[in-house]
Amino acid sequence: MSTILEVKKLGKRFGGLAAISELDLSVVDSEILGLIGPNGAGKTTFFDVISGFLPPSSGRVIFDGRDVTGSKAHQIAQLGIGRIFQASTLFMKISVLDNVLTGHHMSYKTRIWKRLLRTPSAFQEEELLRQRAMEILEFMGLASLKDELAANLPHGHQRILGVCMALATNPKLLLLDEPVTGMNVSEIQTMIELIRQIRDRGVTIVLVEHDMKAVMNLCDRIAVLNYGRKIAEGLPDEIRGNKEVVEAYLGKGK
Amino acid sequence: MGNLRKNYLSNRVNRRSGKVVGLGILALILILMPVLVPNTYYIHLLIMVGINSVLAMTFILLLRMGLITVATAAFWGIGAYTSTLLVVRLDLSFWLALPASTIITGIIAFITGFPLVRKGGISFVIETLAFAFIIALVFGTFDVFGGYTGIYNIPTPEPIRLPFLAPIEFISKTPYYYLMLFLVSLVAVVLSAFYAAWTGRAWRAIGLSPRLAESLGVNLFRYRLLAFVVTAAAAGLMGSFFAHYYGSIVPGTFGPFKSLYAQVYAILGGVGFAILGPIIGSLIMTIVPEVLRIAKEFEPVFTGLLVILLVMFLPDGLLGLSRRRPQPPAKSMARMASWIRGFLTDHSRSDQQ
Repeated sequence: MSTILEVKKLGKRFGGLAAISELDLSVVDSEILGLIGPNGAGKTTFFDVISGFLPPSSGRVIFDGRDVTGSKAHQIAQLGIGRIFQASTLFMKISVLDNVLTGHHMSYKTRIWKRLLRTPSAFQEEELLRQRAMEILEFMGLASLKDELAANLPHGHQRILGVCMALATNPKLLLLDEPVTGMNVSEIQTMIELIRQIRDRGVTIVLVEHDMKAVMNLCDRIAVLNYGRKIAEGLPDEIRGNKEVVEAYLGKGK
Repeated sequence: MGNLRKNYLSNRVNRRSGKVVGLGILALILILMPVLVPNTYYIHLLIMVGINSVLAMTFILLLRMGLITVATAAFWGIGAYTSTLLVVRLDLSFWLALPASTIITGIIAFITGFPLVRKGGISFVIETLAFAFIIALVFGTFDVFGGYTGIYNIPTPEPIRLPFLAPIEFISKTPYYYLMLFLVSLVAVVLSAFYAAWTGRAWRAIGLSPRLAESLGVNLFRYRLLAFVVTAAAAGLMGSFFAHYYGSIVPGTFGPFKSLYAQVYAILGGVGFAILGPIIGSLIMTIVPEVLRIAKEFEPVFTGLLVILLVMFLPDGLLGLSRRRPQPPAKSMARMASWIRGFLTDHSRSDQQ
């Protein structure tokens, strides 16, 4: 069991407010780690810091043996951390296939002048990436919708498309921000199945989710945040029985 | 299923061949224009349409990635002044000054782009506006640039000497017209190539959602800078041509006002049409005031009115009409009424965005 992501004494302050403080967390290769906590516990901020959208105020982030603290978002994506956002963040005005192809952005190897001159090798590469995008869509069950505009998809499919795009970047680690929120029961079941299959292909997954049933069902381990601090970490069963966690969610009993 | 696919393919082929035929006819008309329209004043207008449409094309390219520039004309001016100085001071041939000033404008955009494109949104608008004013000020202040009276008697391009044919001399408007046609086509082809390559996909992604694009590994800064340099170079190319065609340049021509006009051409044609939109837009904006014989003083009023009507009724531009079904007039009127009501009651609307 090797560690793919290690966070040491991570802190993020917004003015006087500490969104995250003194956070230590390790993510093991090929596990599904759930990150839970009440609203405002700092879960999304944690994702923003890991994926380079926000610089941390203190602490270190080590991914795959490299110190990536303070790297830019596109650099971190290039190193292999994929991310889907909380709201349905997609390129709404273009087709499903084009969305995934945009995710392949980093895979383009042909030099720019060859593309501008439209040499055969540029076309070949385009065709290869199109095939790979179709493979992802087939794997995720969206192949039949490839020409549909992203905006026209139902909510559940939009969330799945978000994951498809993140997969197109060939991530080693995938950060999923509320992947099943707002879905109906059967959509949740599909999503859980897909996330498991992604993990079985060797992608490590960290997910933030409020749907406890899904989290308990899906995750190998769970870490609980409250007020930016980690208050518990362990197997789903351990977390369920943890007194501090119950208090964080429901308040202290009199 | 196989049948469907075949139909789909043949439709695509038909559409493509239709496009080729359309382009061919358009090219033929454009090439024959000096014969069809012997009036040199109209040829002059068409040359200006060519220049304006390139400026509008560069505006659209940046707009599509979420950058609204007010410095279009500034780079046009940099090209014009660079080329003029190269020819007048350094005795360079126009045919060398043309590519040289294009490259120099690109380099200047590269240097100024470093601070300018870091942030998108409103700060980019303000910064390019400031840049445009500074450039106009620089042209107007320093003696090298001829001060506010500008530079006169800019040499015309040297004649093109071809074997077995009489040399092409730049005396009448016709050779300028063909040179303009060549340059505009060149810009159109290069820009289309960029759009078709994966640069175009990255630009579009940045325009649609910069955050998501970044999370997919797109280097925002690098792609914005590339777009900034490419558009500036295209504007600089037309600047060089303009200076030697027009024969004189003054700083006022290259102020932010001209950039606003470029935006009008782009919006009128339709920003969804990166190449054809600007051509149609600038054609109409140049020809219609002439045909209606609107006095020069009232021309800005006409333009302003047009912009208001456009934004209200044709946000996708004239070419956008081809993509949507016509709305019954009653509905348009209702929309206008609600728009006016909204404007009268809620002044905060214009502040949002």
